[in-house]
Amino acid sequence: MQVVSAVGEAFNNIVLHGYANRRAQGHAHAHEQQVREQQFREQIGSVDLRIQTRRGYIRIELRDWGSGFDPRAVPPPAFDTLPESGLGLYIMQSFMEMAYRSGRPNLLTLSKRYVERSSAVRKSEGAT
Amino acid sequence: MRFEIKAATGVTHLAIEGELDAVSVSELRPDLEKLVKGRPTVVEVDLSSLRMVDSSGVGALVSLYKRVRAQGGSVLIKGLRDQPLAIFRLLRLDRVMLGADTRSPPPAHKQSKSRH
Repeated sequence: MQVVSAVGEAFNNIVLHGYANRRAQGHAHAHEQQVREQQFREQIGSVDLRIQTRRGYIRIELRDWGSGFDPRAVPPPAFDTLPESGLGLYIMQSFMEMAYRSGRPNLLTLSKRYVERSSAVRKSEGAT
Repeated sequence: MRFEIKAATGVTHLAIEGELDAVSVSELRPDLEKLVKGRPTVVEVDLSSLRMVDSSGVGALVSLYKRVRAQGGSVLIKGLRDQPLAIFRLLRLDRVMLGADTRSPPPAHKQSKSRH
């Protein structure tokens, strides 16, 4: 669950911010759904996703060729103000170890060590 | 993601199912906008069938919460579990926004030694 959440935030971050300037020109007269599909096709930017696993460890690398950023320049969320944005990086860093290198491509690495549960435990917990 | 908004006397019910993320939230936002403009007194948000939420989905729910409360209304979020509940707890929203059924338990107080 934590890995899925962190990687989802990382991917969305690339699409929404790294490739933010890739805007499609929709057709005003077209059906809304057709416009949306057209926008998705035309906004395509490449994200290279590599997953490495070994017992008790997972490492995921995301490479993109969009705008980079400096994670150290992003302030932590001010929780007492109920922030509506700026939460994705915090979720990533809370759930996994994160490293970032800006460049061509940008490289975001998420890794996590975890304790493997036996199949008997997973079964007793009702995991699928 | 599927959602349903029902207005009953005094209470507006919003139920969201599936995955509320950076993509699907754009389908919800226009209806949340209409909901807020209706100046509801009480908004009850049922998230018992929400499987996944990301920061964009949380942002939309926080926005709803803040705007309704700024108008003098109240928002009760209930039914959170699994990944969405973990996200709300991580972002410290549980103590502010959630109903009693899903709030984090208060920190345990140290018990004084019992007398024998």
